[in-house]
Amino acid sequence: MAIVQLTFRESLAKKTFMGFLAISTFICLLFIFALNLDIVDGAQSSISLFGLEAPELVELNKIILGVEAGVAILLFTGGIFMSLFATSNLIPALLQPGFIDLFISKPVSRTEIIAGRFIGSLAIVAFNIFYLIVFTFLIMSLKTGIWNWGFLLAGLMILITFSALFALMTLLGVISGSGPFSLMLTYLILFFSPLLLQRDQIYALLNARIYGYILDGLYYLLPKTAELGKITEELVRGIGVYNWMPIWSAVLFGIMTFILSTYIFHQKDF
Amino acid sequence: MLAIETIGLTKYYNRGKIKALQDFSLQVDTGKIFSLLGPNGAGKTTLIKALIGIIQPTRGNAMILGQSFQDYKVHKKIGYLAENHRFPDFLTARQVLYYYGKMSGVAGADLSVQIPGLLKKVNLQDWMDTKIRKYSKGMMQRMGLAHALINNPDLLFLDEPTDGIDPVGRREIRDLLKELRNEGKTIFLNSHLLSEVERVSDEIAIMKQGKLLQKGQLEDFLSVKEQYQLQLKGDSTLIDQTFKSANISADFNVNLFTIKVQDHQELNILIDALREQSIDILAVIPKKISLEDFFIEVLDENEVKPA
Repeated sequence: MAIVQLTFRESLAKKTFMGFLAISTFICLLFIFALNLDIVDGAQSSISLFGLEAPELVELNKIILGVEAGVAILLFTGGIFMSLFATSNLIPALLQPGFIDLFISKPVSRTEIIAGRFIGSLAIVAFNIFYLIVFTFLIMSLKTGIWNWGFLLAGLMILITFSALFALMTLLGVISGSGPFSLMLTYLILFFSPLLLQRDQIYALLNARIYGYILDGLYYLLPKTAELGKITEELVRGIGVYNWMPIWSAVLFGIMTFILSTYIFHQKDF
Repeated sequence: MLAIETIGLTKYYNRGKIKALQDFSLQVDTGKIFSLLGPNGAGKTTLIKALIGIIQPTRGNAMILGQSFQDYKVHKKIGYLAENHRFPDFLTARQVLYYYGKMSGVAGADLSVQIPGLLKKVNLQDWMDTKIRKYSKGMMQRMGLAHALINNPDLLFLDEPTDGIDPVGRREIRDLLKELRNEGKTIFLNSHLLSEVERVSDEIAIMKQGKLLQKGQLEDFLSVKEQYQLQLKGDSTLIDQTFKSANISADFNVNLFTIKVQDHQELNILIDALREQSIDILAVIPKKISLEDFFIEVLDENEVKPA
């Protein structure tokens, strides 16, 4: 618990937490003050954003779902991108000589040390994500009377995706001791995923079958961030989960990667 | 129960090319200040790190306070001051001790009571709520020492505890270590400052290239057997004659006569002879060498000469 608390303090000190909070608060304030919805007889009669009225009246439900889906997608891509950036150095910083020595000299196992750091990092990101999601949900729901509970599930999906990627970043951080290196490789996975989704179209360009197998292997092994993003959007729109495989494979990937990180951390000399 | 016992502890790096520890076997009794000496690269820090679990030994075993060194729970009873320790610099001294104390298993309520007293012990009470990024090197050392004591450990590992501390501060730390020893704690000390080690240690060990060369009571190593220095007052001719008649040769330096005798009996006979001649005996001091001289002597004896 002390390690989790220390991780929080470190994030506060590095202003990453405050930066996140500021951006989230700004977005919430935007919804509070800039978005105006007039409801007449249960139907939306006008909508304006920053004082500019929409040219057509459309079904209120669709607008709300659209706005919330937009926020969810923004959080999914931008939020995960920023969260990875903000937390990239937390594991390498832990492993610095003189710093890690003192942790290991305490009556805590190495597993507890790395798990504490991991959970602390997740907690920071989770707080920020749910801060924005919950406040946006409350603002939109109170303004419109439409309570879209699927929007809250977006927070969970974003956290699952971030956790899987952060587990990879933890592994790379433990192996290399470098925040930038582990961040670069994790971003590569994040942005490579949409390509892997389109691998059927890439097969035709390959001159040997082995490359096809490699692409298939990478697809099934790595977190399918493109599909997870799609699932997030569809959850918000009330469509539901069409395919559970990206979710459980991301969870499995995260767990296995974290176990591997712990094993390597146990073997390391400092 | 021994405080520390190592049995054939070995650590190789780079596939055996670097032998940091070689079958290192050592026993340290409880309630003592034990100092480990050695030249740079001897393996002193490697030994401490292996005992605490910061590095994994290649082979061998060790016990700390009767428990396996690989059981991290034994760390509840130890405190550690690392040579290049680092704390999160955005914390104050109070916060450092709080978080690291919690990690050591100390309850929050106890910490609130202990922390001010502990910082006072190391003379940091006026800097309790200042962020440690503003601390000098000496203050960081004191901070490290306070941190090592936060869980009231039975065994303290101190790696260069007086590094960067002024002479007054060093004396305060020496006094603190003696106080802790008198409370029954065991202190395992690594230091290059032989003058500090000489003033504070009960027992020492000397190592080189990962091997133990010498181990024993400091007093025994520094006493030169059957050599004494005598401070005398009287007629110098009479003094010379007395030495000659006792068949003892003496070197005179400053105001001390240095003599070598075969045993205590011979010394007593000389003293009686001096007193018969009414020569005042102001002091009889067993001759000692400095720890530095002894240390260099041991290293030279064990120097591996090139073929």
